[in-house]
Amino acid sequence: MNLLLSDDYLLQDYPESMTSTIRSGHATMLRFNRTGDYLASGRVDGTVVVWDLETMGVALKMRGHNKSITFLSWSRCGRYLLSTCQGWKAILWDLQTGHRHREVRFRAPAYMAELHPWNHNLFVASLFEEQPLLVDISEPVDVKRVLPSAPKRPNADSDIALKEKQAKEDAKQMTTSAIWTATGDHIIAGTSKGKLNIIDAKTLEIIYSEKICTGVITTMRITSSGRDLLVNSQDRIIRTFRIPNLAVPDLDPDTIQLPLEHKFQDVVNKLSWNHVTFSATGEYVAASTYNNHELYVWERNHGSLVCMLKDPKEEQGVIEWHPSRPLLAACGLETGRIYIWSVISPQKWSALAPDFAEVEENVEYMEREDEFDIYAQEEIHRRRLDAEDEDVDVLTADPTKDGEDLANFRMPILFNLGESDSEDEFVAVSTGTMRRRSPGESQADLSAGAESAAPVRKKAGARGGKGKKK
Amino acid sequence: MSSPDELARDTPPPYKRRRTGDTPSPRSSSPDILAGDPDDFRQPPRRVSQRGGGLSQSPTKAQYLNGFLRSQSVSRAPSESVPRSRSASSSGSRTRSQSPAHSTPSPAATPPSRQRSRSPTSTNQSRSNSFSPEPQQQLTPPRELPKPNYKARLVLHGHTKAVSQVRISPNGRFIASASADATVKIWDAATGAHMDTLVGHMAGVSCVAWTPDSNTLASGSDDKAIRLWDRVTGRPKTTARKAGQEMAPLRGHHNYIHCLAFSPKGNILASGSYDEAVFLWDVRAGRLMRSLPAHSDPVSGIDFCRDGTLVVSCSTDGLIRVWDTSTGQCLRTLVHEDNPAVTNVCFSPNGRFVLAFNLDNCIRLWDYVSGSVKKTYQGHCNKSFAIGGCFGVLDGEAFIASASEDGDVLLWDVKSKEVLQRVHGHEGVCFWVDVHGETMVTAGQDGSVKVYRHVRHSGELNGNGTKTESKAPGQGMLQGELPIRQDDVKVEDVMSI
Repeated sequence: MNLLLSDDYLLQDYPESMTSTIRSGHATMLRFNRTGDYLASGRVDGTVVVWDLETMGVALKMRGHNKSITFLSWSRCGRYLLSTCQGWKAILWDLQTGHRHREVRFRAPAYMAELHPWNHNLFVASLFEEQPLLVDISEPVDVKRVLPSAPKRPNADSDIALKEKQAKEDAKQMTTSAIWTATGDHIIAGTSKGKLNIIDAKTLEIIYSEKICTGVITTMRITSSGRDLLVNSQDRIIRTFRIPNLAVPDLDPDTIQLPLEHKFQDVVNKLSWNHVTFSATGEYVAASTYNNHELYVWERNHGSLVCMLKDPKEEQGVIEWHPSRPLLAACGLETGRIYIWSVISPQKWSALAPDFAEVEENVEYMEREDEFDIYAQEEIHRRRLDAEDEDVDVLTADPTKDGEDLANFRMPILFNLGESDSEDEFVAVSTGTMRRRSPGESQADLSAGAESAAPVRKKAGARGGKGKKK
Repeated sequence: MSSPDELARDTPPPYKRRRTGDTPSPRSSSPDILAGDPDDFRQPPRRVSQRGGGLSQSPTKAQYLNGFLRSQSVSRAPSESVPRSRSASSSGSRTRSQSPAHSTPSPAATPPSRQRSRSPTSTNQSRSNSFSPEPQQQLTPPRELPKPNYKARLVLHGHTKAVSQVRISPNGRFIASASADATVKIWDAATGAHMDTLVGHMAGVSCVAWTPDSNTLASGSDDKAIRLWDRVTGRPKTTARKAGQEMAPLRGHHNYIHCLAFSPKGNILASGSYDEAVFLWDVRAGRLMRSLPAHSDPVSGIDFCRDGTLVVSCSTDGLIRVWDTSTGQCLRTLVHEDNPAVTNVCFSPNGRFVLAFNLDNCIRLWDYVSGSVKKTYQGHCNKSFAIGGCFGVLDGEAFIASASEDGDVLLWDVKSKEVLQRVHGHEGVCFWVDVHGETMVTAGQDGSVKVYRHVRHSGELNGNGTKTESKAPGQGMLQGELPIRQDDVKVEDVMSI
C-alpha cells in the first residue's frame, strides 16, 4: 500500500549498503518466506529462528534439531517451515503453534529438503552419500520414494562392457541438490558429477539429463516465475539456464533443451562461490565468495557485474534475496551474524509540506484564472461541498494481491521470547556468574525448549477456547 | 417526535427475556439509568436502562452517581478531560477566526434540540422502519435500503469517571473501555457482562487497542506509560525471561499517551502522545523501534492501513501525515486550507482513504494519494473534544460513524454524505463510537458504555435476510440518487404512525 505513495525510491533495485545486522546464535542458513515478511534462520546448535523483518526482531524460536541446520524451506502459505539438519532428520514446523508438525528421519545427513511449491506434505530431500528421496507425509506414516541419480542414457543396445562401465559411473552419481519446478510437476536435481537431471515427480523417472559442469553442483535456485535456473558448482562458475516449459500436455522428453544463458565467474581472482541467489525478479544474481568478504551482484541482462558489497569484515555464507524488495541477507561464517543490505530511501521533503513541490529545474508559475479572487467563506465552503460528487469506494481492496495476502496465515505474536540472545550463549552458573555455553551443550536444550514452549501452547489453547469470565 | 423512537426501542423482545434472568431487581437499578440519560429514555425506555442496570456489575449506584457528577463538573483535572480540553483550546484560536464560515453551513453548530428537528429525515426514517413494519413493507419493498438501524441494548456502568475510548475486539466478542478513572474494563459484547478490570495505570487512560487476535490489549495513559494486558488472565502480559514476571510497561513518551494502534499483524504498536511524537514499538520485545518526529502539537490520532505498510497520524496542528512503517519516512502530508485541528484519524477498510475528524464540526474523507478531500460529513457537533468514530459495514455497504459532543452518534452514508441514522447515546459528550458488524458501542462522558445492536426490519427477519443482503449494494446506489423520494416515503410512514 505504501507503493502508492513512494514510487521513486524503487529506481535502484539492488541493495547498495548494509542497513542492519541481527544475531541470534550462530546462523548457518537463511530463507525468506514467500511474502518476504519473515526470515527463517537455522543455527549451528539446531535451533530454528524466525525473524520478523518489520521489527527486525525474533518472532519465534523452535528447538528440535540437535545438529547444525543445513536447509530451510517455507510452505507457500507461510505456516509451515521444513528444516533439515546434519543429524539425519527433517522437521516440518507448524508456526501457528511453534511445534513440530512432522518429523522425518533419514539414513544419512541431509544436504537439503525442499517443500513442494503447493503441497506442504510433500518434499524432496537430497542426502549425503545416499539417493535422494521424495517424501510424502500426508499420511501418519511417511512414504519415502527413492529418486534416481543416474543420468538418463540413450537406449542401451550397447555391449556389456560399456554397460558395466556406465553402471560403475552411475553408482558414483550422487544427487547433491534437488529443487522443484514452479508448478511442482518436476524436480530438477544436480549431481556430484556435474549432471543435471529433470525428474518427473509422478513417474519418478529422469526425463532429461545433461552434463552442465565438471564440479559438484552445490546450489540450485529458480526464479519465482520458474523460467530461470541458477546453478553454483565447484568449478568456480555460476551458470544461469532457461528452463523449458515442462507443463506442455504432450511433452516429448527428447526435445527438451536447457539453454545456458550466462556464466558468471571471476577470472582474475579465480574466486569460488559459497552460495548464490536470484534477485526478486531474477534480474540480478548475487553470490557470496569463498575466502573473501565481498558479495558480488551481477545483472543478468548483459551479464555484467553491477556491484560488490563489502561491508562486513567477514566471509559470508548463505545469502538470500528478499522476494520483493532490493534487500539481501547473508550470514557470516565466523560469527553467525545475519547482515542485511538494502537501499536507503531519501526523505522526500515535499512530503512534509504539502504546499511545496520538488521540481527538477525552475518552472514559471502559471496563475490560475480565479486564484486570487476573493469569495465569502460560506461560498467557498459550499462550493467545496458541491464539488465532492465523486464516487468513492472505501471497501474494495486493490485487486493486485491483497486479497491473497489477507487469506494468508498470520503468525501469532509471542511475548515470551527473550529480546536478546545472551540466554543462548551464556549459562548462569550461580548468582552473578555466567559462563559461555560449550558447543555440545546445546543438545541438552531440548527439554528446556519444550519448557519454554509451554506458554505458547497455553496461548493457543486459550484462543480456541471460550473466553473465561473472571 | 420521541414517541416512535421509544416504541421502536421496545420492539426487540428477545433481549428483554434474557435480561430479566440476570436482573436481580430492575426497579432498584433504574436510578442509574436516569442519571445516565434522563431525557431521551424517560418513560418506556426505562426498560432498556433496567436491563443495563441489571447487567452491569457496577459498584453501587451512589458510587456511580458520584463519579458521574464528578466527571461532569468538578474534576476536569484528572487525566482524561485535561488533555482533551487542552486540545480544544489549542485549536480554539484557530477555528475561531474562521468560525463564521463554518457555522452557517453546518447544522452541528446549532443547539442539539434544533438540530434534531432540522434533520428529521434520516433519523425518523430509520426509526419508523423498524416501528411500523407492515404498512411500510407494502409501500417500499423495492426501495428498501440496507440502512443501519442500531438500537440501544445495554448500558454498562462501572467506570467512575468519563469513558474516553471504547473498542470492540477484532473477533467481535469483547469490548474494552478506557476511562479517566485510570482503569480499563473488558466486557462481553454479547451479554454485557463485566469480565475484567485492568488496574495499573497511575492516571486516566485515554486509549486502548486490541491486537488482531483479540487476546492482548494495549492501553495508553496520562502517566506516560503504555501497558499490555492479557485479555484471558486480565493481568499485565508476562515475559518468559523469568517465569511469571510481568512485562514492564512501555515507557519512552515524555507526555500523556493519547492514541494507540496495532499493526494488522499485531507485531507493531504505534502510539501518539502529547509530546508530539509518534513511536513505533516492537510488541514482542517491548522495545521502542522507531520514533517519528511527527507533529508540532499533540498527536491526537493514529492508525495503520490494512497491510501494515502505512501509518497515519494527525495532530491538533491541523496536519495529517502518512508514514512508511518500514522506513519511518513521511510519505505524504495532508492539510486542509482552513487548517482546522484534527483530533482523530483512521484508514478506510480498503486502506485507500483516510478519514479525519476536524474540530470544525466536519469529518473529511481524504484521498491520500491525490491529497484531496473527497467527502465532508457534517451534522454532528465537534468543536472542542477529541471524539472518535470509525467505518462500519452492514450488508456490504459502508457507513461512517461518529460520536458527537451533544451525546448523539451519527451514521453517514459514505457516498451520499447523508445522515443515515442519529442515535441518542449519552448525556454530556459522547467520546467514542466503535462499530463491528451489527454491534455498535459508545463511550460517554457520563461514565457509561452503551452497546447497540443493528435491528433488521421485520421483513428481513422473516426469512429473506440473505436476499436483502445480496440486493443491498444496488439499493445503496439508489439511495444516493433519489434522496427526495426517500423523504417522501418517510413522511408517509410518520403519518401512518
